[in-house]
Amino acid sequence: MRHGLTGSVVTVAIVSAAVSAVISISVTRTAGQASRPARTVDGKPNFSGIWQALNEANWDLQAHDARPGMVTQQGVYPYDYARVPAAPVLALGAAAGVPGSIGVVQGDGQIPYTPEAAKIKQENGEHWIDRDPELKCYLPGIPRAMYMPYPFEIVQSTNKIQMAYEFTSTARTIHLDNVEPPPDDTYMGHSVAHWEGDTLVVDVTRFNGKNWFDRAGNFHSDALHLVERFTPISPDAIRYEVTIEDPKVFTRPWRIAMPLYRRLEPDAQLLEYRCIEFTEEFLYGNLRKQQLVKRWEGDTIIVDITRKVPPGDQLHDWYRR
Amino acid sequence: MSRRLLAWIGAAVVVVALVALAALPRLRPGNAATATSTAWGEPDLQGIWTSDGEIPLQRPARYANREFFTDEERAELDRQRAEAIGREADENRRSRGSEQDVGGAYNAAVFTTHKRMGRRTSMVVDPPDGRIPPLTPEAQKKRAAMREYQLALLQPTDLCKNKLPGCEGGSYGPVSPRRAEAPPFYVTVGAAGGGGAGGGAINRADGPEDRGLGERCMAAALPDFGGNTGFFLQIVQSPGRVSIFYDTGQGQGWQRIIPVTSSPHLPSNVRQWWGDSRGRWEGRTLVVDVTNFSPKSYFQGSQENLHLVERWTRVDANTVEYAVTIEDPTTWTKPWTVKQEYSKQSDQANRIYKEPRCHEGNYGMPALLSGARSQERAFAAKQGPDPAKECTAGCGGFALGFADTGEDSNPLAR
Repeated sequence: MRHGLTGSVVTVAIVSAAVSAVISISVTRTAGQASRPARTVDGKPNFSGIWQALNEANWDLQAHDARPGMVTQQGVYPYDYARVPAAPVLALGAAAGVPGSIGVVQGDGQIPYTPEAAKIKQENGEHWIDRDPELKCYLPGIPRAMYMPYPFEIVQSTNKIQMAYEFTSTARTIHLDNVEPPPDDTYMGHSVAHWEGDTLVVDVTRFNGKNWFDRAGNFHSDALHLVERFTPISPDAIRYEVTIEDPKVFTRPWRIAMPLYRRLEPDAQLLEYRCIEFTEEFLYGNLRKQQLVKRWEGDTIIVDITRKVPPGDQLHDWYRR
Repeated sequence: MSRRLLAWIGAAVVVVALVALAALPRLRPGNAATATSTAWGEPDLQGIWTSDGEIPLQRPARYANREFFTDEERAELDRQRAEAIGREADENRRSRGSEQDVGGAYNAAVFTTHKRMGRRTSMVVDPPDGRIPPLTPEAQKKRAAMREYQLALLQPTDLCKNKLPGCEGGSYGPVSPRRAEAPPFYVTVGAAGGGGAGGGAINRADGPEDRGLGERCMAAALPDFGGNTGFFLQIVQSPGRVSIFYDTGQGQGWQRIIPVTSSPHLPSNVRQWWGDSRGRWEGRTLVVDVTNFSPKSYFQGSQENLHLVERWTRVDANTVEYAVTIEDPTTWTKPWTVKQEYSKQSDQANRIYKEPRCHEGNYGMPALLSGARSQERAFAAKQGPDPAKECTAGCGGFALGFADTGEDSNPLAR
């Protein structure tokens, strides 16, 4: 009896191990990290986890050359391709440049602005440092929050999917169940979703039109309507595709697409990027009793760059060491 | 052979299923599984929650050692409070145009609680007298230093001239040279005295840091008991994660994610406004350990040494019980515990106003700073009073009114 029981237990243990091995085929394991089922208990692709886009879309959705500075000015040559870094970023050297990109706009790579909107986009780009809501730490909006250079986390439940963004600790809820629309237009949109096979399809509306798509000045109005599609490529990558419609700004719908990558660090977690305080000097510095920036003209910062090079750090000194 | 293998696998599947069932947390009798467990078998805290009842943080002396009000007492307190709010409005009308009138009207509209009295006589349940334990000598010193600085800035104002309660501990005098000094501690809350050690509002607007965190749109803090304006919590779970969106403090809400993990806290040099949360399930209860607070964060006088142990329990389909043990040996002589009950709100009505868009619309901060600069210019041109003698924070109306303490509309405080 006792032997029989032991035998059964052993058998069950062996079989359980075998079954576990079978089950684990659908499970991705990464060294040092807990296993992540590829599917949720209700059989949907499991998007829970920390993700990040690894591309240059936040600089410019469209294909572009690398640039010498986040802000540039005409150099000694009058050619547009020979611009040089401008004062606000000059002291940062190569760390202030902009990486090139093959772009994320699908099809012909063009954004179909109306002629009036194309002019506004052009001006936005020229006045980036004054106009981009990102620089003021404003709520980033969708889709921009999805490809800013900060991680975000998906907490996927059955009826609600919460997307939490590290940038300014904001979030949106994706409703898979019935929900009333928000009481007012929003920065982050109103997201309602359904599953089409393994693709999560999210319909986003009720924007207030105050957000941009990127640092190049690409923008939209309050008529923005997004259809986002999240499709698993693998347990650690999602194809993220957005159809963008805004009859006040674009002549036709257009699409962007990119992979989102899982952050595989075993202890990955969202940290705070509570940037409100980081922007106070930028926003209110001219209103201080004693200004930290020495030259404000009205509310315009005049940045004089004085870079005192300490002894031993002169150009080429490091080379001689 | 293959039939035998199939039979084994079949048996094993049953066994695995049984083991999985056994691993499910036990349900309370009378609750449908769907109401209190997630599809993957963890206790279900999900939904939109709020605290319905008005409950003072600390227990008034007259209810000493009584944890709950009677229903009659609650009805009577509601009646008294409704009267007090009306009386306050009348008094404001009698002094129309005064600082107290303007501050009071705003505060009455925005900050007066309209919730009915809750069941408990205090949110503090431990120590059993319902009172926050005494401050340590170190924290008392810190508080005194901040209060001294606050009073130095208040002393040339009408607040002290007229010996109003906001000047308590100080006296009327000339403009203090301390007005040019940095405050002894980071300025955090709006209340005069700071509700604890250090941190309180200062009567100065040299730059954004001089104003309280509320005016800077950064008031959200942990722990959060809802304040006088109330709050909503939206909880969404996935296996191993509990997400809480705090819709709190006039558009100053924030997103929190609690990893359910045995991994250690962040390195001690990484400090955050809302600390670092680590959750674990103890039976039906989510226990969350929170450390790594920033020296700029502030709760009742506690800053970087704050340590919280929160316990979130779904006690029935419509109730989550929240208990938090608050510890900081540099601030209080012993730990203390607060308990709240949250009731479930309709999921369908999208009641949570998720956008913490205070900062985006913060016209108040530049207006306040440029106002201070124009006063200084006018004074320099001998066309206006000395701004150092005007009271803009930690004075009349606001500090004495509903906003900071809720006391004026709270019959328990009378």
